[in-house]
Amino acid sequence: MFTVGKGGVGRTTVTLGIALEAARRGHRVLVVELEGARGLEAALGALRAAAHPPAGLDRITYMMIDGRRALEEYLGLIIPVRRLLKTVFSSSVYQYFVAAAPGLKELMTVGKLWYEAETRNPPDRAGASDGHELVLVDGPATGHSLQYLRMPQAALEAFPSGLVHREAERVVGLLRDPDATGVVVVTTAEEMPANETFEMVRGLGELELHTAMLVVNQVHTAPCGREEISGLPVAPVAPLEAPRARGGARATLAPEHLVGEVVARAVEEIGWAEINAAHVERLAAVDAPMVRLPYLFTEEFGADEVCRLGREMATQLDERSSEPRPRAGKK
Amino acid sequence: MATRGTGVGQIVRDHRIVVCAGSGGVGKTTTAATIALWGALQGRHAIVLTIDPARRLADSLGVGPIGNTPVTVPNDVLGGLGREVRGSLSAMMLDQKGSWDELVERHVPSLESRQRILDNRFYQQISQSFAGSQEYMAVEQLGELDASGRYDLIVVDTPPTQHALDFLEAPERLLAFLDRKIVKWFVKPSFSAGWGTLQAMNRTVGFLLHKIEDATGVSALADVTDFFGAMSGLFEDFEPRVQRVTQLLRDPATAFFLVAGPDEQVLDQADYLAAQMAARGMPLKGVVMNRVHPHLELADGDGTVDAITSLLETRLRGGPAPAAAPASRGRHTRGARTETASVSSQTSEASLARRLAQNFVAYQARARGDVLRMEMFRQGLPRSVPLVQVPNLPSDIHDLAGLLSLHPYLFASRSAA
Repeated sequence: MFTVGKGGVGRTTVTLGIALEAARRGHRVLVVELEGARGLEAALGALRAAAHPPAGLDRITYMMIDGRRALEEYLGLIIPVRRLLKTVFSSSVYQYFVAAAPGLKELMTVGKLWYEAETRNPPDRAGASDGHELVLVDGPATGHSLQYLRMPQAALEAFPSGLVHREAERVVGLLRDPDATGVVVVTTAEEMPANETFEMVRGLGELELHTAMLVVNQVHTAPCGREEISGLPVAPVAPLEAPRARGGARATLAPEHLVGEVVARAVEEIGWAEINAAHVERLAAVDAPMVRLPYLFTEEFGADEVCRLGREMATQLDERSSEPRPRAGKK
Repeated sequence: MATRGTGVGQIVRDHRIVVCAGSGGVGKTTTAATIALWGALQGRHAIVLTIDPARRLADSLGVGPIGNTPVTVPNDVLGGLGREVRGSLSAMMLDQKGSWDELVERHVPSLESRQRILDNRFYQQISQSFAGSQEYMAVEQLGELDASGRYDLIVVDTPPTQHALDFLEAPERLLAFLDRKIVKWFVKPSFSAGWGTLQAMNRTVGFLLHKIEDATGVSALADVTDFFGAMSGLFEDFEPRVQRVTQLLRDPATAFFLVAGPDEQVLDQADYLAAQMAARGMPLKGVVMNRVHPHLELADGDGTVDAITSLLETRLRGGPAPAAAPASRGRHTRGARTETASVSSQTSEASLARRLAQNFVAYQARARGDVLRMEMFRQGLPRSVPLVQVPNLPSDIHDLAGLLSLHPYLFASRSAA
């Protein structure tokens, strides 16, 4: 399963939420982050360090896949003479070869992913009691996700024969199998992320990949209607006069001013809720089950929040499907 | 050299190239566009160059899909903002495929070899499918824009963090890419003739590369060789230009801005990026913190849901606040339902007051976190680097007026300490 989405929409949080919920239900989960990113590792580390680590956390394994190392590993399988390989890897011609074909790393990343997925879920263990292992990949930002997912098909076209061709053929088959692979598209209900979501979904469609779920994250809820605000005898404080008026005004804020601020926050939240609602409506056109997650106002975003979002997703999906998923009993 | 206490405006004034870096979703594109717009209103000939694959800038500037050529925002559109327009604003979206093709067309004179390149599968892969190649072209484009002399302010929007780093590294990588020795090695006629020569040169490497060739498919290396053969003239020309761009990124006329938001992950990445910039001799000149939740300092006890609710209940009745206002706290409890009509209207008021109070307290919690996270981040920055905050306004900014509305936050003459 891949999670994809524009940067800043909470893709990593959603990935973790899914991982935690799956783990809570008894599945083993491998979460994968692609080279260069470090958000998932940090977030997972924070969960492990939490005072009350969430249930099932020990069933989650982390892995970082680095394309370059994957390529070397792969070549190691073909040429099992380590000393010779070292010579090759340090030769400038090889360095150049890799640099000259930037896509090779991405291809190897996807290849490595599949190697891991298959080793962890061999066909003869299909009915094993401890559940299959879910491989969950926290993809890079939208445009780059498509580049990764396109890679096996690009490789099929680029390399008409040879080992890579055969590997790519296998990977493409798996990617297109909706029972094996699903893509979770994460977005917020705002103009640009929604636009990119449509692009993403179209891109996935062209690659014949299955969009398993659309997660609309950070959805705001209006505390009251606009008419209720306009009926109030207090006007909201204009945003511009607000920021600096605050400086050293600690505790000396006049009550009228405070009320104005309270109303201003309500207007702000109503504004966000309206923007979100409009884009949720647009996003409903996406042909995939939609899950809406609330914007969580917290001082710090921690383990509790991630778990809450994970459960929220599961609940909404369960409500949607006519036959609820069998819950794996807690151990 | 910027002096102490200068804000973002002064930094933009003092530089010809402004690079906006930061992780995805923090408003880099918007920030870059708003800086360019400000420059134009200040009389500069400004252009904003976006490298992000998503077509956001086009929307932001209202100029329709921007191709691989600069599009100038019509002056009457700019004039529509109600400001005197002395400069100009252009925008350019880097379409990587177009960019490579253009490069080939410009630098490969013979139609035949040009076609040979365009038809080469390896070329098509590099220019179209593969991640990373975009940055090569971005830097190249920046150099071109600068060399054209048509703009005195170039604002560059960069891809998300890991790729923003790619952007910073692109010139070096290009130089490595163009290592003359290696290119010659690849384009040697004997190379394409067969592996024999190669094996004689270096048996071990030759043998193993042969294996790699097996793995990658036989014709791939032939494509690579052919590609370099056709491109070799172009590469000769590349090197001095790449060197110029490398210099450009370190030029005193170039300023790096970090665009971030007060989120844990975003600030972690911003920290990392700031360190990487410093290590590369590309000193950070300013930080733009977007989507900050305004925080209100209140005395202990004044900021609870109950306190705010009762304050609202008093105030929203419209009358003057009774002296004993706090005493009313907790009175509107469920048991009071049996009272008169005027009380029931009070109850609906109370529930509105409570909803508003809860909303306010929720915003305050988030805002407190923002303040703490920004303070931590601030400590890691040199004091001379200004940090400006843009509040989390509930509006999608997608036009010039929206961009303009950000100017008071970015370019006010103060800078947050």
